Amino acid sequence: MPLRIIARLDVKPPYVVKPVHFDGLRKMGIPHELAVKYYNQGADEILYEDIVSSLYQRAIQVDQIYQTSKDLFIPFAAGGGVQTIYHFEQLLHNGVDKVTINTYALQQDSSLIRRAAEIFGSQAVVVHIFAKRWRDWWECYSDCGRIRSGKNALAWAKEAESLGAGELIISSVDRDGRNNGFDTELISNIVSNVGIPVIAASGAGSLEDIKNMVLLAHPDAVAIGSLLHYNRTTVGELKSYLADHGIEVAK
Amino acid sequence: MSTTVGLVSFGVSGNIYSVRKALEQTGATVKIIKSKDDFKSLDKIVLPGVGSFKEAMENFGDFKTIVHDQILEHPTLGICLGMQIFSKIGYEFGETPGLNLIDAEVKKMEVKCKVPHLGWGKLSIVEKSPLLNGITQKDNFYFMHSYEVVNYTDVVALTNYCNHKFVSVIQKKELFGVQFHPEKSREAGIAVLKNFVKL
Repeated sequence: MPLRIIARLDVKPPYVVKPVHFDGLRKMGIPHELAVKYYNQGADEILYEDIVSSLYQRAIQVDQIYQTSKDLFIPFAAGGGVQTIYHFEQLLHNGVDKVTINTYALQQDSSLIRRAAEIFGSQAVVVHIFAKRWRDWWECYSDCGRIRSGKNALAWAKEAESLGAGELIISSVDRDGRNNGFDTELISNIVSNVGIPVIAASGAGSLEDIKNMVLLAHPDAVAIGSLLHYNRTTVGELKSYLADHGIEVAK
Repeated sequence: MSTTVGLVSFGVSGNIYSVRKALEQTGATVKIIKSKDDFKSLDKIVLPGVGSFKEAMENFGDFKTIVHDQILEHPTLGICLGMQIFSKIGYEFGETPGLNLIDAEVKKMEVKCKVPHLGWGKLSIVEKSPLLNGITQKDNFYFMHSYEVVNYTDVVALTNYCNHKFVSVIQKKELFGVQFHPEKSREAGIAVLKNFVKL
């Protein structure tokens, strides 16, 4: 199976922003424009995360998502602040193929994963895990990596799978936005302990970082944000580079 | 006159909007079908599909017989779950009867690799079909499914996943089905939809 390259848009409506270690935010552009740009570069999927809805306890802004999806003919995943089956339905009726969830399922009610999978199918339910490394374990954080949960990331990954999640996104609280490489051990641990696809996110600082992580951890997909936003590479260039290093990608 | 395609909406689960947008790219006029009367003056039918077999069939309720009869009267394309429900029976969250249009069952994929099967795959074309005009075995299509149609009589193409070949395209007369998502498969996907619209 070719490795999927996913362009990640962290959005604080109406802008794509770049969180720097989940703290400061820099404006990167308009979601629709960047989504189309990366689509034209050959991205396999687009991931849209509304990074403020959980924090502000408000529902995700569906009109923004609809706008972003309108010229894409590839899978489009979106989430942020999803708490109910109704939220899933709203998103799936507005151009979204896969809904990402974290905070509510992690901190309030994990049965949302099962209920959503039963209605929309597992492929539409993506659990986003934000993990922070402690000495000998990783802890899941909610609210885009701001709030502790006490839950072990590996155990939560397995639980999410058994509840019916179709895919996992792994972000690292320590690495996100820092561009200094992935937490490869975290990704590798999760990949080898679940039977569902895993998307590695957080930390890509260079093409080499991505290649090295993929060769060691074998995720099913890689989500990249700032490398693309800062025009430090293109999806096409990344795919050629990975192909040259023996990693299968779709062209 | 552009072709009018009726896109059947089944309750909570369909990704109607993505399919509509892709069909419009081919020049078709798209009409959303929610009741019996909506089937008037249509050229073709498309059944989209995101959701579970059980949920889809339960959502149909009384609409099931109408959809079944209308499919027999129009060229129809089922996408992913939309194709799966053509089968006699599905085994997703229990055993559920389908539309019984093809001699097939829908079962969970049994492979050593990850399920759901998410990502790009190619077609091994085993039977000529107007649906795949201009499509080659090099084209990539996007798959997003955990279940597969087990059928032996109407197979047009197979796709290999993890050394397991599953049915990815079917045709039975004017009934067509694709396991991949043409609306998510870039230009190749639009080409398949265009073939269907132009039939």
